[in-house]
Amino acid sequence: MTLYLMCFALFLVGVYGLLTKRDLIKLILSIAIMGYSVNLLLILFAYKKDAVFPILLKGTVQGTMVDPLPQALVLTSIVIELGTTALLVALAIRLVQKFKTFDITKIRRLFG
Amino acid sequence: MNNPKQGMTLIVKTVTRVTVWLIVLYGIYLILHGHLTPGGGFGGGVILALAFLNIMLAYGRETTQKWLNIKFLEDIEAVSATLFLFMGLLGIALGGHFLINFLPKGSPHSLLSAGNIPILNVLIGVKVAMSLFLVVWVLAGLHEEEGGQS
Repeated sequence: MTLYLMCFALFLVGVYGLLTKRDLIKLILSIAIMGYSVNLLLILFAYKKDAVFPILLKGTVQGTMVDPLPQALVLTSIVIELGTTALLVALAIRLVQKFKTFDITKIRRLFG
Repeated sequence: MNNPKQGMTLIVKTVTRVTVWLIVLYGIYLILHGHLTPGGGFGGGVILALAFLNIMLAYGRETTQKWLNIKFLEDIEAVSATLFLFMGLLGIALGGHFLINFLPKGSPHSLLSAGNIPILNVLIGVKVAMSLFLVVWVLAGLHEEEGGQS
């Protein structure tokens, strides 16, 4: 239970950064931290005590295995986070080219 | 490939020339053993993309552009995704479901086993490697386009 609460605390770190920081790169990093905390929580849901990784190796008799389904889900989630981060970085590059600043309080006006 | 004006120093270039092939070999190993050990198409593909990015960082953009055909990499990416769809449709034609296993399964724990999973792993690995490398390539060259009037 403590680990789940610590995952939630890590998520709140991301929310704090997203709400208070003004730098574009720090906003992207905050979104990434939120995604990582959710991934960590999903992997922790699959944890069993004294269980092994869910792969059959040659010549060994496997005991209890952890649940492989959240791991496959998290792998997909990592790929989607990669795509969203690439999109955010592309948008940030365009914004910096237009407005010549990283400060989002100065990026208000429409022009172009 | 030895243009001293571009890229990093001579030490980095020499070390890169030796180690890039080891990185490529490790990525191919992870992709081909994806149905037996941890790893698989995505992990191995990321490592292949990192090998290309290593070359780009050490030797600079223009040298890499001369050495690698970027348009051809885009074509490989599109073709691998299309072949993945084709394997799925072949499953419908031969077995009745999308992506069904229509190849012989073989014996467990051998390299040539698990039906068409190794083929799909290779396709995913090529797709991930090319798309990840091209994403970073395009983002790194975004300021050189006409849109950035600075």
